[in-house]
Amino acid sequence: MSNFFEVKNATFQAGRNDKVNNVSFEIKNEGDVVCLLGPSGIGKTTILRSIAGLEKISKGSIFLKGSTLSSDKIHIEPENRNVALSFQENSLFPHHTVQKNILLGAENKKNSKKNINIEEIISLLNLNGILNKYPHQISAGEAQRASLARSLVSGPDLLLLDEPLSNIDQSFKEEIQVKLKQIIKNLKITTIIVTHDSYEAFYLGDYCGIILNNELKQYDEPYNVYHFPNSIEVVNFLNRGVLIPAKVSSPKSLENFELGTITGNFIKPYPIGKDVKLLIQPEDLEHDDKSNLKLNVVDKKFRGSNFIYTLKTGSDLLIPVFVHSHHIHQHEINDKFGIKKPIHIEHLVCF
Amino acid sequence: MYYKNINIWYFATFLISLVVAIPIITVFSSFFQNTSNFSEILRNTFLFEYIYNSIVLLVGVLFLTFIIGVGCAYLVSFYDFPGVNFFKWALILSFAVPPYIYAYSLTAFFENYGTAFTILKFIFGEGNYNKLIYKFDGMEGAILSLSFSLFAYVYILTRASFFYQSQNMIDLGKNLGFSKVKSLFSIIIPSARPAIVAGLSLVAMETLADFGAVDFFGISTLTTGIYNSWLSFDDLAFANQLSFYLLIFIFGLFVLENLSRKKAKYHSPTKGGFKKKEKYNLFGWKSFFAFFACFFVLFLSFIFPLSQMLYWTIIFPKNFIDLNFIELSINTLYLVILSSITLIIFSFISNYGNRVSRSKFLNILTTFSVSGYAIPGIILAVAFISFIAWFDNSVIKFFGFDPIKKFFIGSIFGLVLVYFVRFYSLACNGIKSGYEKINRSIDESAYLIGYSKFKTFTNIHIPYLRNSALLIGILISLEIVRELPITLILRPFNFETFATTAYIYASQDLLEAAAVPSLFLIIIASFFILFTSKYILRERHE
Repeated sequence: MSNFFEVKNATFQAGRNDKVNNVSFEIKNEGDVVCLLGPSGIGKTTILRSIAGLEKISKGSIFLKGSTLSSDKIHIEPENRNVALSFQENSLFPHHTVQKNILLGAENKKNSKKNINIEEIISLLNLNGILNKYPHQISAGEAQRASLARSLVSGPDLLLLDEPLSNIDQSFKEEIQVKLKQIIKNLKITTIIVTHDSYEAFYLGDYCGIILNNELKQYDEPYNVYHFPNSIEVVNFLNRGVLIPAKVSSPKSLENFELGTITGNFIKPYPIGKDVKLLIQPEDLEHDDKSNLKLNVVDKKFRGSNFIYTLKTGSDLLIPVFVHSHHIHQHEINDKFGIKKPIHIEHLVCF
Repeated sequence: MYYKNINIWYFATFLISLVVAIPIITVFSSFFQNTSNFSEILRNTFLFEYIYNSIVLLVGVLFLTFIIGVGCAYLVSFYDFPGVNFFKWALILSFAVPPYIYAYSLTAFFENYGTAFTILKFIFGEGNYNKLIYKFDGMEGAILSLSFSLFAYVYILTRASFFYQSQNMIDLGKNLGFSKVKSLFSIIIPSARPAIVAGLSLVAMETLADFGAVDFFGISTLTTGIYNSWLSFDDLAFANQLSFYLLIFIFGLFVLENLSRKKAKYHSPTKGGFKKKEKYNLFGWKSFFAFFACFFVLFLSFIFPLSQMLYWTIIFPKNFIDLNFIELSINTLYLVILSSITLIIFSFISNYGNRVSRSKFLNILTTFSVSGYAIPGIILAVAFISFIAWFDNSVIKFFGFDPIKKFFIGSIFGLVLVYFVRFYSLACNGIKSGYEKINRSIDESAYLIGYSKFKTFTNIHIPYLRNSALLIGILISLEIVRELPITLILRPFNFETFATTAYIYASQDLLEAAAVPSLFLIIIASFFILFTSKYILRERHE
């Protein structure tokens, strides 16, 4: 059976700097959600615009439900793709009310087979209070939700969301994330979301793509992207750990000259005696006041439910460690901080 | 990139821009043509005088418009005094009085046995007052006429700049202990410099392009030289060459104005950083002085010419009865409606064409074609005739067709076509500034909900820009009602407007008869100004 959506060896380019080469990924099932993550200006939006048909692609192909949308020879016009794109900036029609804007989305997609309840979407996205207002009378966050509603009610085969929650208040963001996921899953709308927020991507996406250095570096399930990053670039981008030098000492352990023996399961085999760089993530090490392995605290961040202590080794490596915020006592900068031994890390990710 | 396609919108825009660019190209190409003996004679005799007079006129008008325009803008922007809100918009009424009508009023008032004489006689009885009354004639008259008609350009742009000036900057001046005078010269005027320069550039272009007032006062400038070369000596090529010299001059100013506008953007406040200006309340003699200064300018620029024309209309009622008011109104209205609608429709098309094609070439061509605004009407008219004559004698003759001259010269079609070239910039830039407010993602959203390009144009852009288009239409109408040289040269036989009728009477020294059409022209133009004053004086935060 063919994939519901597929990008095959495509090169996306809108400007001189935001070229993304040779991109391939697929969405197997209708209703799946893919999140594309990457730093600003890397070309994520260009990918969405090209899938929507607003930019041409110079190489490769894009397929939806078995039909070619774009290739070097074919270019289906955006109005004939049944693909909806919700822009990051306010793209509501300025001379229509919010309600009319949303209804226009529904009016022009009469062929959609999806059974969409417009009132329900309006209600879920908390738009009832602003329906009669004009775009210039509402906030950026409200405009973004209205734009999202317009895209959803059009019942697209493929929904593209460009930073859909970037203008929404932090306090409201999680609620909208939950509702958005609920709507997309209930209506089985296949969705590609561009975001730079990895937590958002891990929550919303069935799959995540990491775009770095002009290419799609990794495309996998969120759990795998987080725990099994396939390159140092992905580790650095996710910024959730540190790479320390180690030597493989057995099929299930490594040695670091400061932390000692570290046991766990290698995600791919390495020959014994090989020098590698081991990824240590904040949740990998445990705090233990009684341990004789002590490192200096150089920074401390309070994150509500936990603290992240940054510890400095003798060789000036900086290692982050999570500690529950209800832990019996706190450490201050320059204190000695104990690490529980023996160190065991479930997944040993090495490069 | 998507939409770089050459489609129907691209072709339409290309054709519109090309038609508008034809007279400009004709003027430049004329530089390589042969001219008659007249040109040789003129080069050795009057050419220097033309240039000298043009420069003297320019300097005089720029000086006066600077003083009047900046002075009034300063008073209404920074001070509260009786009538300030009235003067704020009333001062732009001077736009309703074209320089040539101002010239008629000035002459009528100060001439021997003119209105001034009558007033003195009425107050003091019989006397030889003609010797006492100063005669504003020749260059002085032309400078005054042009200055009081054109200062509003400087006033409007400077006032807008003052309005958007940061209150913090003025507060800082106070904090440093600056007096009001020092603040004016060290902070307020320097930061409004780009707007003032932009206003003065427009004044300069209009001054160099003026035909009616300088012709009335008998001053030989480059513009009258062009007219004479063509009409009196039948030397179209030399008329075009003179136009070329004038264009170089004007394009210099045009570039200056463009550069200034770019700088002006730099001075705009950032979003959310705007703080409404605190005005000083004036009391006593200061308040009276401010009121009097503004009233004096309003009186001289608008009430005086209006009263003069009204006075003559009343005391010579026969001229009013003789005037074929209905025919002139229909003719004027016909030209106004036809030209405005054509200009707005084609400006919409070319702007949309540029928007969807995203072609650099098309963009450059459009920019080039809108420079037609900088070209005096008289040059456009002459260049248009030159082009049609060339086209008839070469292309049409080559194919053996009937000459097409009759369809273009001395016809409404030709007249509207040249209006089109002259005012295309106004219409095109007006629609463009409306388009700049429509984010491209709005078009793209329309495509994505299934709208075609045409439906996006008709269902999204036109409804959104409807009000802007209406206002631009009225501004174009205002320009066409006042326009003289193009109408004079290209109008069909026996087809007169208020402007041409006034000119014809004035050129025959029948100033009393010129008063009636002039009065109607001022009234119609004032009506258009009242309609658009909010737009002209728009203040986003007010």
